[in-house]
Amino acid sequence: MQLDRLKTGGRIDRTRPLNFRFNGKTYSGFAGDTLASALLANDVALVSRSFKLHRPRGIVGAGAEEPNAIVQVGTGASTLPNMRATQVELYDGLEARSTKGWPNLRFDLAALNDRFSKVFGAGFYYKTFMRPKAFWKYYERFIRASAGFGIAPTEPDPDSYEHRNAHCDVLVAGGGPAGLMAALVAARSGARVIIADEQNEFGGSLLSGSESIDGKPAAEWVNAVIAELRDRGNVTVLTRSTVFGYYDHNFIAVAEHCSDHKGERAADGVRERLWRVRADQVVLAQGAFERPLVFCNNDRPGVMTASAVSTYINRYGVCPGKRAVVFTNNDSAYRTALDLNNAGIPVVVVDCRKSGAGSLGATADAAGITVLRGHIVSDVIGRHRVSGIRIARWDGDTQSTFDSTIRIDCDLLAMSGGWSPAVHLHSQSGGTNAWDETRHCFVPAESAQANVSAGACNGHWSLKACLQDGIDAGAEVAARCGLRTMPVELPVTTEGTDNPMQALWRVPASKDPDRCPKQFIDYQNDTSVADVRLAAREGYRNVEHVKRYTALGFGTDQGKLGNINGMAILAECLGKTIPEVGTTTFRPVYTPVTFGLGAGENVGELFDPIRKTAIHERHQAAGSPFEVVGQWHRPWYFPQGGEDLHAAVARECLATRNSVGMMDASTLGKIDARGPDVVEFLERIYTHDVGRMKVGRCAYGIMLREDGMLMDDGVMARLGEHQYYLTTTTGGAANVLNWLETWLQTEWPELKVYLTSLTDSFSTIAVAGPKSRDVLQNAGCSIDLGKENFSFMSVQQAVLAGFPVQLFRVSFSGELAFEINIDSAYASQMWQILMESGKEFDITPYGTETMHVLRAEKGFVIVGQDTDGSVTPVDLGMNWLLSKNKDFLGKRSLSRQDCVRDDRKQLVGLLSVDGSTVVPEGTQLIEDPGAPKPVPMCGHVTSSYFSATLGHPIAMALVSAGHRRKDETIYAYLADNLVVPVTIVSPVFYDAKGARQNV
Amino acid sequence: MSDSSRRLHGLEFFLRSQQRPDTKASGIHARILDDVTHVNLRGNSNDAEFNRGVEKVLGQALPVEPNTVSIRESHIYWLGPDEWLVVSKAADSPGLATRLENTLRNIHSSVNDISGGQVTFTLSGENVERVLNKACTIDFDAGTFKPGHCAQSGLAKASVLIGCIEQSRTFELIVRRSFADYVARWLRHAARHHGIEFR
Repeated sequence: MQLDRLKTGGRIDRTRPLNFRFNGKTYSGFAGDTLASALLANDVALVSRSFKLHRPRGIVGAGAEEPNAIVQVGTGASTLPNMRATQVELYDGLEARSTKGWPNLRFDLAALNDRFSKVFGAGFYYKTFMRPKAFWKYYERFIRASAGFGIAPTEPDPDSYEHRNAHCDVLVAGGGPAGLMAALVAARSGARVIIADEQNEFGGSLLSGSESIDGKPAAEWVNAVIAELRDRGNVTVLTRSTVFGYYDHNFIAVAEHCSDHKGERAADGVRERLWRVRADQVVLAQGAFERPLVFCNNDRPGVMTASAVSTYINRYGVCPGKRAVVFTNNDSAYRTALDLNNAGIPVVVVDCRKSGAGSLGATADAAGITVLRGHIVSDVIGRHRVSGIRIARWDGDTQSTFDSTIRIDCDLLAMSGGWSPAVHLHSQSGGTNAWDETRHCFVPAESAQANVSAGACNGHWSLKACLQDGIDAGAEVAARCGLRTMPVELPVTTEGTDNPMQALWRVPASKDPDRCPKQFIDYQNDTSVADVRLAAREGYRNVEHVKRYTALGFGTDQGKLGNINGMAILAECLGKTIPEVGTTTFRPVYTPVTFGLGAGENVGELFDPIRKTAIHERHQAAGSPFEVVGQWHRPWYFPQGGEDLHAAVARECLATRNSVGMMDASTLGKIDARGPDVVEFLERIYTHDVGRMKVGRCAYGIMLREDGMLMDDGVMARLGEHQYYLTTTTGGAANVLNWLETWLQTEWPELKVYLTSLTDSFSTIAVAGPKSRDVLQNAGCSIDLGKENFSFMSVQQAVLAGFPVQLFRVSFSGELAFEINIDSAYASQMWQILMESGKEFDITPYGTETMHVLRAEKGFVIVGQDTDGSVTPVDLGMNWLLSKNKDFLGKRSLSRQDCVRDDRKQLVGLLSVDGSTVVPEGTQLIEDPGAPKPVPMCGHVTSSYFSATLGHPIAMALVSAGHRRKDETIYAYLADNLVVPVTIVSPVFYDAKGARQNV
Repeated sequence: MSDSSRRLHGLEFFLRSQQRPDTKASGIHARILDDVTHVNLRGNSNDAEFNRGVEKVLGQALPVEPNTVSIRESHIYWLGPDEWLVVSKAADSPGLATRLENTLRNIHSSVNDISGGQVTFTLSGENVERVLNKACTIDFDAGTFKPGHCAQSGLAKASVLIGCIEQSRTFELIVRRSFADYVARWLRHAARHHGIEFR
């Protein structure tokens, strides 16, 4: 039974009843309802418990400002926490529940907190949980469990979300009278317009009232404007779309809720869409929030803002009470009194202003409504729901207390403490606000970006003023876009006179503010007047500090209702004016957004790019698992017949050492460098004597950062007098090219050198092992591969198996080896040809793991594994690479005091004394396992493998002063306090003379 | 892959794995072009000799207006003040780099045939801009991004080069080879509501 549903009226569709469940109970509502309006229609007053004191709470507002009705919507994987019931559109089968209250909402054990609320004052958290320090781990469990407003789903999100980038001349945030008018004017000028409104239909405040425009109901005017906007090709009209973030350069974020009004899951299509809008101009027309009044027990279910009550009556055909009182300090709430009266609800108006009446007041008087002027509400009676109020006569003294009060029975109290423009987006954009003494609110002052505020969010309350402000804003932004606007006629509205508002920040009570029943400022965070006063007494002066100390303005509503009241009360405590106290910072997001919205379509296989080599599919077909290196997927190892990693790697290593192996090395960075000054340029970049290389020769080169630390390494080849071919590490390719271009473009623009990345254009296949020469010969090679014609560390152009290739005689395994550079368009074929040509030698493809073992046996470092950005070439024993004949980047840093310390960590080899333990990479090394804890560490293991070739484990490590500690025994400290003795040796474990590669 | 002398763009596997082509009327047509020559060219466009040499070989002048593409026999993309990408489908285009290099032999310049490292898509269909704008921040409005305009930008998490090459809103999308599979998968996913067909 929808007990509180009015017989007629509202924008709901009474022919479409919907069932929904709240806290396990089934209710019904109508299409067009929000969860909040449907709950109120069903006479559900208690919807949640407050955050700290667990006081019973009801619905206060009707929109984004709602602090109490924060519910969990939906079930399982698609459930959403932090939902304002006032913004949840009802659909059939909707499932929602309160997130507070145990064992249930009506009987909440933690409501004891309220009894001891003196303990839970401002700063309770900081005062209580700091000591004893060791107890934090116990406190934390309790705090985590009681914090928050819901639960995040644990299963993967089954829905899809998407992003959309858009550009426009004018973005209008808010589709009320001012926003619509601005959009219309801008659209008629030919501007590309996007208008976004968070609600399911346009109209803003007009949806909640009963006003007329041009002699017709306002809704007809709204429909006509929207129809025209939609008909124009230059307007994008977005409903259910919240402009939630205003960033630099007029970059605006909009959350479009595509399916949440239809059901828990998006049946087809996307659930939410993130619009990333770049707007030339922005019109901010988000309206204003009505402020509560701050009186004793003003949080009881049944106390609501007056405008919310009007919204429920006019928009949803629901009256949330049977007997009402309206408590106000301004004229706007008289509309609510009239709405209640029209709905047949007995209503009394309590107006703190002693005298005077505007047009609305006069209408109320004429309608026979009792208006008690010069009165205030001093207290509210009822715990789970308002059952009455106490009122007192008031003479305007904010410090007074009352001895005698009169009780009025009622179950609904509509309050209005004036209006606060929604300056959120204006403030997010960096704009300033100014306090308006007559309207008692902050209004936008200076804009920091290209925007204009219009309507109620610019401090205009009357419909006429909002429409006019919208016209002006639309014309202004169109003109700024260089467009001509046609004059637009101001629609006709009825305007009355206004009795000025009387500022009333804290309503006097029967006792002083520190001893009277709680007067709440921020409902969601249970921040009361006494808390703010306590903070001020304890020395907090800055509003940002008071916010952190009292939690005023945190949470899902970010203080949309309470902030201004709180600042005004703080100002009173500090003896300052409100503008002197100022506001806290407004930050995105305006209302909560989901993680799905942020992720968009970058999920699953599209989470991050997978870079594939030209041979990728062959590796996949061969059953190779892939190792992620940067964004590349590189074959890790090629298991045969159920082999594990270790078995496969041992087989691949032995095959390469004894016969021939082959690997895809295409991911190496490749750069073509040429120009008349290329030698001079590379001399400055690399540490060795680049110019001494003869054409056709290769060299291993390293480059340092300016601080002398190793940055990247690779083989380079001199292809011509003025042309070099450089290779980089896989992960460093893009950085190195940027680094080189930066030096060329910003520091040495006089050097004539051009660089071109060839990483993707050429694929590289390394064939390594004693039989590698035979494999190439089998494939059919145009050049003599013998040592005399084609010596170690040289490069030649050749035709291999009919394909033009660049052949390098370089080796990262220490074996006789060739690297074949081939146009990537043919690399897959070449791989296959080589596999066939190597069949008689049982050619064995190997992956990154075997490559690592083979190079470690030879003591070759991997930048980023054996180095970490704090390692110099001297630390690595690479002094032979540092030219004394020239300067190069980083050279001077090598003589810094710190770089010549004799206890620097230096690269060494390690052998386990037991001959069998493979010490995990990353293991810390210590001198003396018996030393008192904390045991000093003298180094760490960087690479560690079992060498099948040598038959024992090998490791590389950075050890303090390691170079002069050969044959010493130190200790590897493993997990579970296990200590393994290791001996320091040379990092070259195999073929130290290099005889095998030079054949 | 039986014909071992055929150039592979690397998306053959992706194309074979394509489920039944979805050909809704409003669909998006994605073509992956075979045998396109890409030449990366660097030089000084203030050097008359360089310009003459390039024009002699290409038969068209290099665009010097930033973010434009010269659309004639070849598509020449402006990549930077001293860098261009020449995209050609002409029968003799495989020799293009050699011809340019020979002509520019005595001029400070750099010519690299990077055909094997690039994948070229053409995209057309009513909703192309909409799909691209899901993950590309360029303003593709017909009045802003006109034929002859190009941009080096990001598409999702890949770097791409996009040119508007026809009045009928046909876009050329050029991607580094190693990212092409990711971009193709992204396109297939992003355009699923419109229907997309790869050829």
